[in-house]
Amino acid sequence: MAAVPSDVATKRSLPWLGEFLATERQAWIFVFKCMLAFYIAAWLSMLFQLEQPSTTMITVSIVMHPHSGMVLAKSFYRAIGTCAGSLVGLLLMSAFPQQRELFLTALALWVGICAGGAVLYRNFMSYGFVLAGYTAAIVALPAINNPYNVFDSAMMRVSEVMLGIIVAGLISDTVLPERLRQVLRNAARSHYAHFIEFARGSLGGAIPRAKMEEAHLHFVRAAVQLEDLRASVIFEDPEARARSSRMQLLNLRYMAAATSFQSLHHLINRLQRNNHPRTASALIKLYAPVGKALSPPAAERAAPRSLATRLEACEAELPPLATTLREGLRQDPELLLEFDSGTALLYRFVSELRDFAALEAALRETQGRLKGSAERVDFKRANDYAAPLIAVIRTFLTMIALSVFWLWTGWPFGPSAMLLATIFSGLMATSPTPLVATANTWIGYAAGMIAAYFVVFGLMPGSDGFTMMVLTTMPLLLIGPYLTTRNATLPGIGAGYTLGYVYILALKNPMVYSPEHFFNDAIASLFGLMMCGVAFMIIPTVIGTEWLRRRQLQQLRRQVSFVATAPMEGLLYRFESTNRDLFHQIVQFTQPNSAESRTLLAWGLAVHDSGRAIIELRQDIRHADLPPPLCEAMQRAVDALARLYDAPDRQRWKEADGAVDHAITLTMQTLPQMRATCQPALAHLLQLRTALRDDESALGPYIVKATEIPHAT
Amino acid sequence: MPREIALADALVPSILLVYLGCLLVLWVIDTIVGRYGLYRYVWHPSLFRVAVFFVLFGAVGLLLYP
Repeated sequence: MAAVPSDVATKRSLPWLGEFLATERQAWIFVFKCMLAFYIAAWLSMLFQLEQPSTTMITVSIVMHPHSGMVLAKSFYRAIGTCAGSLVGLLLMSAFPQQRELFLTALALWVGICAGGAVLYRNFMSYGFVLAGYTAAIVALPAINNPYNVFDSAMMRVSEVMLGIIVAGLISDTVLPERLRQVLRNAARSHYAHFIEFARGSLGGAIPRAKMEEAHLHFVRAAVQLEDLRASVIFEDPEARARSSRMQLLNLRYMAAATSFQSLHHLINRLQRNNHPRTASALIKLYAPVGKALSPPAAERAAPRSLATRLEACEAELPPLATTLREGLRQDPELLLEFDSGTALLYRFVSELRDFAALEAALRETQGRLKGSAERVDFKRANDYAAPLIAVIRTFLTMIALSVFWLWTGWPFGPSAMLLATIFSGLMATSPTPLVATANTWIGYAAGMIAAYFVVFGLMPGSDGFTMMVLTTMPLLLIGPYLTTRNATLPGIGAGYTLGYVYILALKNPMVYSPEHFFNDAIASLFGLMMCGVAFMIIPTVIGTEWLRRRQLQQLRRQVSFVATAPMEGLLYRFESTNRDLFHQIVQFTQPNSAESRTLLAWGLAVHDSGRAIIELRQDIRHADLPPPLCEAMQRAVDALARLYDAPDRQRWKEADGAVDHAITLTMQTLPQMRATCQPALAHLLQLRTALRDDESALGPYIVKATEIPHAT
Repeated sequence: MPREIALADALVPSILLVYLGCLLVLWVIDTIVGRYGLYRYVWHPSLFRVAVFFVLFGAVGLLLYP
């Protein structure tokens, strides 16, 4: 009886203890899984009489990762990478059996390309490229003095690497697995709840710019994270695979609704700033029913289905309310136009939100496959080719330098150095701080080798049999995976330690004890690792540098000209996803709240706003029955905007503003004759103008005030 | 069934082909089961998947090496 309250009391008084135990538990589960994978891999490779069980163990140490769950996805790409790498190794061997120079150049090129691929594909596919380079190197390098044996040696190496991949994948997937699907579900629900909460909380209408930017950042991260998770979960869970296209559609609706919401708020904010509080408050009043629909009674708050029905009911309420509010306004055509564009945005937002909630409800309510077919949408990634290209060049030069050194000195351990350089130039190329990471890994690697020295020459000679081997090697091997789970405080050390330990242990059956080989190999691999670091010093990485950010910002602005010219098919999703992916990459390495990150955010919002409005406008031009001169004027406005975003300056801003203004005037002249077709186009044009003249946006510095005056009168 | 098959003049153990074939069959089964949401009735889906694979591979493997 007494034990229970005291237990509760300790839990309350020591909250850090619970947290500490939870993280420790995670860490030790990972260590346990690693050990299981290591020794099962070693045992199986000895059972199958593979030549070098150590290759299997090295592969396990490269492949095991605390963020489990994506294992199957990773294994899939890794297996492909291994096959490709070994084929290339064989091909190189058969193409240049007598030509060491050509052979090494070609190998360096291949390894470089693989490192570039690892940078280009930032998700779990990047490991596949690392393994492709690594396998080619381990297949080809040892066979260089003995080309007749290359096929057998290639088969052995591939079997060893594959065995490592399979064992690591199986262990991570079956032993105490961490289900990514649950993570995805939780993430999707929390983003949904956050978005609804945000839309409800802005009942007053006015959100400060800073908060809006923060929210934008959150929406961007959420969309990219959901897509990343979805892409991995489909490998893990066939049920998710069947629902995959719906999840993509859900993400699209989420992004679209978020964009409309932001545009609406910019409009309201601007109206308030420009002393039109009545128009702004009319829009806020119009928003009130939406806010009410979004706050259902507490009992059914969580259910998206009821939210969707409430929003649908609310949609019917809006038009009459809009008419009454419009009559109450001062009959200034300019202000009425602003109000109309606000109403159009609000309608769009509500209908998108309703679609979003309805789809979320459908996904939550049904198990397994959903009936009917969904629109196919694809999350487009934005790739910049500068960073991968630099990685290719850097790795190529590293490998060439090492090969030249090896050939000139006739160093017998050259291959070891090259192998290590291959592994780490691929792994480190994606890091924003490769120098620090390499230095840490180097320290870890050296520590691992020292530990292995004691094990190999102190403990192992006296042991006998597999059990004794496990008992002697395990205590010091444990440290590596444990340090890997502490990657936040000691980045790279754990991975280096594990790899160094396993590499130099060079487990064999029967074991070979050769101190001079041990030391030569140790020095060679440390040298290779160091060369890798030197290469990062000479050709620094561009990931996370200001130069790359500027480049990516340019690319982000180009998105506007992209939406102005690209074919309309599936354009919306391409725009929304590329935009977010790009933006995510740009802000990843900026300090939060710094001046730079604020500018970037402002640009992100501006591109988002205008891009979306341009898409809608182009849809109007295409589908609505507009008179040709009107279409031309609109097209001119779109082109002028695209030019402005390509290279913003005052002159172009003036041109764009003039073109948009001209289109608006023309549309207003035709408005009385064909209200139905012109109204939406007009709303989108107005939205473009709002975005253009928003003096708090990124375009602020380019605004020429003079044009505002004749217009306002 | 012969124990080794010549593919483009390279002798490939037929057990490897069986392995790849079983992976394919497993993938098909996995997709069907997942499509109808039958994994809800399974305690440990990934363990189940591995077990199904072992059953398939073992059965066909026994035909090769009786």
